[in-house]
Amino acid sequence: MEHGEAWDKLDEWLDGELPDASAAELSRHLDACPACKAEAGLRRRLGEALFAPAVAQDPRSSAAFARRVMARVEADSVPLWQRLFAPALTPALALGLAALVLSIVAPGLGYSEPFDGWDEPDASYAALVEVP
Amino acid sequence: MDDAEFEALVREHSPRVRALCAAVLKDATEADDAAQDAFLKAHRSLSGWARESSFGTWVHRIAVNVCLDRLRAAARRKADSLEALGERDAAALRTLVEPSATGALEDRDLAHRLLARLTPETRLAFTLCERDGLSYAEIAEAMSCTVDSVKSRIKRARAELAEAARHFSRTGGV
Repeated sequence: MEHGEAWDKLDEWLDGELPDASAAELSRHLDACPACKAEAGLRRRLGEALFAPAVAQDPRSSAAFARRVMARVEADSVPLWQRLFAPALTPALALGLAALVLSIVAPGLGYSEPFDGWDEPDASYAALVEVP
Repeated sequence: MDDAEFEALVREHSPRVRALCAAVLKDATEADDAAQDAFLKAHRSLSGWARESSFGTWVHRIAVNVCLDRLRAAARRKADSLEALGERDAAALRTLVEPSATGALEDRDLAHRLLARLTPETRLAFTLCERDGLSYAEIAEAMSCTVDSVKSRIKRARAELAEAARHFSRTGGV
């Protein structure tokens, strides 16, 4: 096996992706070739160096994480329009109620003309509603 | 599925998803946000979960895509050039070339910056391979690409990282 071919297959060999026959052939080459063996060692060490072993997580941390996710799920389940307008709705509702109360109470607070009966309908109206 | 059932699934599968996000994104806060995003997306599309695959496999795939999106966003920021790495970084990289070197780089920030030099797809494929021990076929499925793409990405990742280590070994400094 040539060096170029060996280098080309090194990654698959390291990752256990090479078919058995090719893996055995490459292993024999590495035993006999210090340069390729050094390259294989370097490529293997890269993974070890860059990825620290996973640290087992505290189960309490998973429960706390799940609670954070569920809080977001709950917030996510409120319709978008409600999330956007809910803060604005409360003052708007209060203003609306205040306006309604004022419209009922205000006429009694100020001066108004005393009621002196309905105006007489004019003649043209009387003609329209007159029953023959 | 009600909320209690979903919360139980989150508790069961969050260690793996959080570990994936932490390995890919390195920043603890961002990793936690990404893991939450993955579960939130899963919840939103529960109706689309084809139950031929387990919930764990499915949410892992969602997390892979969330991480990829975040890596792509981060890639728009400029990665360090080799020359920008300091002498202390260079010394740590030179040790990698030594056959006696073992274990993880103590400087996790350097590991992060080295990985940030790779393209998002290359970095993710390499992480899934090295850290999660996934096969090329499993990575291809998780990343929705071909096995040949995975093979070339992993090859490229190791080649670039090995070149960085050799660069400092040859020059003896920065």
